[in-house]
Amino acid sequence: MVDFSLTETDKKLIDLVREENEIGRAFARELDRTMEIEPSRLRGVHPAVADREDPFELLEGVHEETSGLVIAEALMFMASAQDVELRDVGGHEAFGSMVLRNFGTDVQKEKYGHLNLAIGITEPDAGSDPGAMRSYARYDQETDEYVLNGEKIFISFFNKFDGAVALVKVAGKDGSRPEFGTFVLVKGAPGLIESPQMRKLGVRKHELSGFVMQDLRVPAVARLDADFGKTLSNFNHNRPIVSAVALASCRSLLDFTRDKLKAAGVELDYTQGTSGRSALVDRFIRLESLWEASWGTVMRAKWLEHKQGMYSNGYRTEASIAKAMGAKAARDITQGCLEILGPESLSEEYLAEKWFRDVRIADIYEGAGEIQRVLIARDIFGYKKELS
Amino acid sequence: MIDFELTEDQKAVCEMVRDFTANEVAPLARSQDTAGELDSALMDAIWQLEIVQSQCEPDGRSAFLAGLVLEELAAGDASVATAVASTMAYCLAITDHGTSDQRQALQESLKAPGFQALSLAVMEPSFGFSIGGLKTEAVASGAGFRLQGAKSMVPLASRCRSFLVVARYQEGEAAFIVPADAAGVLVREPCQTVGLRPLELSEVVFDNVGIPQGAMLGGSNGSNIQSIIDASRTAQACIMTGLSAAVLNHVVPYVKERIVHGTPLAQKQSVAFRVADIRIDTEAMRWMNWRSAWEIETGQNPTRLSALSYSFAGEKTMKIADEGLQMFGGHGFVQEHPLEMWYRNARAISVLEGVAGI
Repeated sequence: MVDFSLTETDKKLIDLVREENEIGRAFARELDRTMEIEPSRLRGVHPAVADREDPFELLEGVHEETSGLVIAEALMFMASAQDVELRDVGGHEAFGSMVLRNFGTDVQKEKYGHLNLAIGITEPDAGSDPGAMRSYARYDQETDEYVLNGEKIFISFFNKFDGAVALVKVAGKDGSRPEFGTFVLVKGAPGLIESPQMRKLGVRKHELSGFVMQDLRVPAVARLDADFGKTLSNFNHNRPIVSAVALASCRSLLDFTRDKLKAAGVELDYTQGTSGRSALVDRFIRLESLWEASWGTVMRAKWLEHKQGMYSNGYRTEASIAKAMGAKAARDITQGCLEILGPESLSEEYLAEKWFRDVRIADIYEGAGEIQRVLIARDIFGYKKELS
Repeated sequence: MIDFELTEDQKAVCEMVRDFTANEVAPLARSQDTAGELDSALMDAIWQLEIVQSQCEPDGRSAFLAGLVLEELAAGDASVATAVASTMAYCLAITDHGTSDQRQALQESLKAPGFQALSLAVMEPSFGFSIGGLKTEAVASGAGFRLQGAKSMVPLASRCRSFLVVARYQEGEAAFIVPADAAGVLVREPCQTVGLRPLELSEVVFDNVGIPQGAMLGGSNGSNIQSIIDASRTAQACIMTGLSAAVLNHVVPYVKERIVHGTPLAQKQSVAFRVADIRIDTEAMRWMNWRSAWEIETGQNPTRLSALSYSFAGEKTMKIADEGLQMFGGHGFVQEHPLEMWYRNARAISVLEGVAGI
């Protein structure tokens, strides 16, 4: 039966992440100004939350009392703008480790399972088009090693993690066409050269770097049996989360805007029709409607995932819809709120301008909005390569 | 607990209405539009599905199911869906808010074998009309009231035996059950509208109409007028979603077949992306409507979400009908295809307020 109520545990988890974000906001501006220059990312747990339960750890233990593990997780992401990290990253942000857990053999898990691994896919000349990748692996029969060359960029937390799972092309045997291969790369290996952190428009707390592979030798056991399609099946889980994270910042900005409008004497009246409200109020209501519309698409995708399992492909179009909808809404909502708020919103005294910058990445990473639309349209038309 | 699963009963009703819509409703949409009136045999057949009647029974009342049904009907014809929703709005306002006498009187008209046209009368004939600025007014007079004002865009007004008129009363608003044949009620000729033409939208003038005391909805305590408006907004958003879904279903085969400069339209990103956006927006609308309808059904305050659903659906449905027409090029502009009709209907349904209910 269709139901949009939250369980008591859903609500408790949402409150916990909200409260934690309130605590973190005090540090948000400072982090925004400095984070990406120095590898200053928090190690361990910030004293401000040392005596508080970790909401995401708690979720693992109580998910049976929630609307569902992945549903509650998305609700939590949508409830907190995560302006700062008060807790060390690891686990759920180590995307490469997730690939290892899902596709690695027992031997591989034994060898690499203790590591936090990032994921390296994007290259300077190849983002959403893996066919354009130039990173290359060649098998050396004499040493039973692969030799890798190439460059990977835009890798979350590579500076902090122990290594990465990288997607590269592998030379085919006897001159056959190259195929995609997935390799575990561990820092410290000669030929694996870390690039400096990237300075960027927003989400500056989120460290982004890359690496160069220069005759990097890895043992044959480092090659995972995770082909490109399998590797990307994780995207179905992550795409609505990208939306959720952006929607959280939007929620913060909508709340901020509502409060400031109220203080300026502008009341939001939902009983009025379009012609009975000011252009300002109408604009705000339309932005709010985008938020609620996006919420529905995220919940729908997560509910399907909850029913079908994370690695099902049965909800991939809905995952793309949630991503495309929420990410575009985030652009519109944040741009619109700053316009409504006017010149005062530009000041770094408030976080409004930060939220405006932070969410812009949502329509780019984990498949740009255009890629989501290609995927959605292919599903509608029953196309594969006919549309690219 | 978040759940998007329809019950087996809801699925069965949707399937039944979907089949009925495809076989009976959609084929008549064009001829009804041209004639500017509904096909009475079709409306009687819909009446016999007991969609409205079942909602008026205590164990059949479900705003959520009503919303599902309206979306299905609107995929065939938004005019038919709105006609049903109009009668439903009237009946459900009385079922939910009426006194026992009012409900009993309603039950009598529900026993009729053929479609009963009954309407809310909310909008008023002025440019820039806002639902918050009603001019029609009721004043206490003797043992009853006197009603003065004019209502516009009343669906099937000339066929209605009775109207539920929303008017200013004392400090707020109230609704009054006014028989069409009461002295002082003048139903004007249908004004021939750009869209939803079969609804025969007309102006109804109330010139010092005397109303007995028992005709105020809910009796002397009045009723929650806002909840009637909320239900209307959500119902109209459901109708708009059905219309949007119809556009999507219609453009997909066409853009795949139509070859332009050597490749199908569907293989061009500028077209494919817009079709993807139609799908995105239609689904986003649907889940938001479900949530609004769920709020209504579970007795929460649905005012905010209903307003947001209505606003979102209105903006997107107009855009979707517009894009659908554009994809058909010249074929979208001529009457051999339904796009031009849907384009007109989209504008109409998204600016009306208070013509539907769930």
